[in-house]
Amino acid sequence: MKKLAIYTTVLALCGGAFYAVSAAEQAAPAQPAPEAAKEVVCFESRKGASEVTQRDIKPGWPNVKCSPKTGAALWYGDPYDGTVPMGKMPGLDKIPEGHAVIKPRSEKLALMPMCGVSCHNGVGPQFSPPTLPKGKKPVPLPTMEAMVPDLKDLQHGRGRIWCMDCHHTTQRNKLVDHFGDPISFDQPQLLCGKCHGDKLRDWRDGIHGKRIGEFTSTGKKRWFTCTECHNPHNVQDGARNRGFVQLQPEPSPQLPRGMKDASHEKLHPIPH
Amino acid sequence: MTPNETLPTDPAKEQSSECPVPPMSADPAANVLKTSRRDFLKSGGALSLSSLMGTAALMSQSGDAEAAVEWAEHFQKNYRLMTPAEKAEARLRLEKRYSDEYGKKVSVDTTEAQPGVLMGYALNIRKCIGCRRCVHACVAENNQSRGTKRPGEKIEWIQVLRMERGKFEQEKMNHGYPEGLGIQVGGNAYTPAGAVLEGQYHYNPEKVPEADATYMPIACMQCEKPPCVKVCPVRTTYREADGPVVIDYNWCIGCKMCMNACPYWARRFNLTTPVLPKEEMNPVTHYLGNRPRMRGVVEKCHWCLQRTRHDRYPACVEVCPVGARKFGNLLDPESEVSKILERKNVFRLKAELNTFPKFFYFYD
Amino acid sequence: MQQLISFTTDYTRYVLKGGTKFYAWMGSLAVLIVGMMYVFYLQNTDGLIVTGMTSQISDGLYLANLVFLVGVAAGAVTIVFPAYVYHHEGMHKVAVLGEMLAISAVIMVMVFVFAHMGRPDRLWHMIPPWGIYSFSSMLGWDVMVLNGYLILNFICGFYYLWCKYSGNPINKKWFIPLVYVAIVWALSIHTVTAFLMANNPARPMWFHSMMPIRFIVTAFAAGPSLIILIFLVIRKNTKFWVDDSAIKLLTTIVQFCLGIAIFLTLSEVVVELYARTEHANGLYYLMFGLHGLTGLVPWFWSSLVLMVGAFILFLIPRFRNDFKLLTIPCAMAFVGIWIEKGMGLIVPGYIPSPIGEVTEYHPSFVEWLLVLGIWAFGFFILTILLKGAIGIMLGEVKFGGPAVAAK
Repeated sequence: MKKLAIYTTVLALCGGAFYAVSAAEQAAPAQPAPEAAKEVVCFESRKGASEVTQRDIKPGWPNVKCSPKTGAALWYGDPYDGTVPMGKMPGLDKIPEGHAVIKPRSEKLALMPMCGVSCHNGVGPQFSPPTLPKGKKPVPLPTMEAMVPDLKDLQHGRGRIWCMDCHHTTQRNKLVDHFGDPISFDQPQLLCGKCHGDKLRDWRDGIHGKRIGEFTSTGKKRWFTCTECHNPHNVQDGARNRGFVQLQPEPSPQLPRGMKDASHEKLHPIPH
Repeated sequence: MTPNETLPTDPAKEQSSECPVPPMSADPAANVLKTSRRDFLKSGGALSLSSLMGTAALMSQSGDAEAAVEWAEHFQKNYRLMTPAEKAEARLRLEKRYSDEYGKKVSVDTTEAQPGVLMGYALNIRKCIGCRRCVHACVAENNQSRGTKRPGEKIEWIQVLRMERGKFEQEKMNHGYPEGLGIQVGGNAYTPAGAVLEGQYHYNPEKVPEADATYMPIACMQCEKPPCVKVCPVRTTYREADGPVVIDYNWCIGCKMCMNACPYWARRFNLTTPVLPKEEMNPVTHYLGNRPRMRGVVEKCHWCLQRTRHDRYPACVEVCPVGARKFGNLLDPESEVSKILERKNVFRLKAELNTFPKFFYFYD
Repeated sequence: MQQLISFTTDYTRYVLKGGTKFYAWMGSLAVLIVGMMYVFYLQNTDGLIVTGMTSQISDGLYLANLVFLVGVAAGAVTIVFPAYVYHHEGMHKVAVLGEMLAISAVIMVMVFVFAHMGRPDRLWHMIPPWGIYSFSSMLGWDVMVLNGYLILNFICGFYYLWCKYSGNPINKKWFIPLVYVAIVWALSIHTVTAFLMANNPARPMWFHSMMPIRFIVTAFAAGPSLIILIFLVIRKNTKFWVDDSAIKLLTTIVQFCLGIAIFLTLSEVVVELYARTEHANGLYYLMFGLHGLTGLVPWFWSSLVLMVGAFILFLIPRFRNDFKLLTIPCAMAFVGIWIEKGMGLIVPGYIPSPIGEVTEYHPSFVEWLLVLGIWAFGFFILTILLKGAIGIMLGEVKFGGPAVAAK
């Protein structure tokens, strides 16, 4: 376990992404077994944060079909594969118990196993009270910054928020709500909704974000949570357009008979 | 949790519990024979042409059951006018043919529209990044032809239009149409923005969304007043009670009048026998939905009837990485589509044609 | 009854006999028909993929020829109308030939209906009681009026010939009203065909109320042009004499209708291009090209040149009075309108597609051969019908008389 933890630390340092990828997925290519070569992994929404491994639920019926070109998930054989109940959420009283499910994210977070084990377990390196931030003002967190250098350049809130506005001070594998109580990484909407109330409302009503499964308003759905699509540390990145990280598109349509290429489309219909 | 217990998509479950018609037996041929004979005995003189032909063919040449089944398929009625028994028979006939053809157990669902459901669709045009995942999810789900050898062998129901953002420029201020006296009558300072007829369908950049473009997916709008239905000379395409405009592929004569009438270019023609590899074929089908088509008939989006009749989201909704696609019951005020109509600004494409689409574009 | 049998046998025997020229003509048509059958077989085994049609341009030469030939069929009324309404002597003599032309043209139209369909084997789906007839579908109406026109012309034409053959007087009590019905019906076939295209708001190129009148005037230019040519061939090759007065009247009709057709075309150009809305994109593509694609531009301008050229030639008395020279403007008008209907109207209706995709139409060899074969088939039937009719008119085929060999 410790070896794994160190391995992931190195990865995280190299990649610089806090939520990079699950340790298991990173380890996969290292396995020399032919099974690993056949393994098809695709991403659902955010590359690097929503990977899913293709497998057969039953013969000829995969859980997911992947795009051979872009590695995007293109078809769900089972929309509830690997999900757990979402848990309580204000405003969702009408949905029957167990009909709102999510895919747990905690296990995908690379540093997550370490947080609770190595440091914030009460056993690891002693962080005596002085290193814990008092009050709400930002203070340097040298250990964390050493592990994840990008933390100094947080692309969220334009300098008006910092780590401890979202992360729990003592339970680092938890997020934090307005009252200072911990929130699971599986329920980031409880955190994000603190500021983005209009988005939370739209998300709750199914207008914002994505849900798969049954379309009826009381049907069983897998809800995609905030962080499955958005990287909270990096929402202002310049290499994107309208809030979305750029993706490779799927192939364009077949040209109809007689058309050699589609270059004419780039011209304006009538020259100006 | 085993997926088989919870999946509404599980073909086995669909057949056993959700379909009102009898489940497919292990040997579909035997079933066809049984059904036909039972019909024959029960309904006596009130036999349809199709079951008569089917029964006769099956009885006379039992050795070549498949040929007999296909032969009977040529004489079946318009799906809408079939009795429940004829529907069940047509369904078994197709299940048998498809199962033989694709080497796996294929189910052909005939679930009817449910009362209290009127399907509606909404697309957040601000969110769309033009990745075309919906296009390919649709193909994976709906058994379209996917050949690559000849143009026309690949059919996609969704088109994604790339439109230029456009801008007005200082340098172009004096571009225009100078008339005789040097007095400008018009300007040309613009580059087109948001012009549907000036867009691109074959865009292929490294990455989307591009900074200088917006995207608009277009597919069947499932109009309330569909012009395509009006022009059909054989009534093979019609609006189902729960909203989608469907086609009975076995009744279509391929006259293509509907393709002339559709203002959204939603309909595609099977120029040749669809190229559908066995392993890629989706065995969970609906009679009016994604069952494999034949040469010479028209097809189009039907909002994944094989899914939506069992409450499942259409395939395009499920794969949209940005959640731009929304689907729901317009009669349910709590559905996502109803909420969008209540809360957001929506518009319909070519509203001036009074086709009253149930597909809404919106933005937030 | 015996008369009817002898009519049939005499008629058949007469039309099957002919000189070398006749057999050579029919033989070459037969070759084209065989070729047509082969590509029709290809088209119905491999599918319409062997043609130049796509999902974007879902109809092309077939629908174009269909529409054009409906016009030719309707054009026969330019003989029947003066003959029976104005009692024009020269026309009255040849009225039955016009009806024969209408029959062959409608048969060609029906074959083109088969050609453009994806599933001709399912045509019975639109014929009650086995199939469904849809009253809201213009195609349904079109099939109905075309069949009606075929039956009307068959009855009128062959009843007339039958009376001539048997020597019985014509029963004017029902014959004349039927002829009047056929005259109005002729207008209906082309009007309904115009509605078939025009009633599609999805296609701005077609969606205007000028379509029916444009269809009628072009039909009344193209149809009589073809009839004049056929009459001149008949005058040259048979003993049957078509009066100069008939040809002159037809020339006048062609000239007037051609003039109106050109006027309507130019009106459309002005109206569409002055405002130059998106709805004019089809016409713009046709005239100048769109997005740098110019596939139809030569077709449009050649059609315009042919039509305007023919109109100008018709204005020159020498061309009107010298029947050798008359063939030139007639052929020009016929070809010009054929292009105008097909590459000038049907195809640009599909370009750009309703959602703005610009693709080009390239008819395949299969398509050209099928079109040629159907025309050959039509001329094959027309030759037989005209030969029989002329034989009866000349008295060479007569009840009781010995069947005389042609020529």
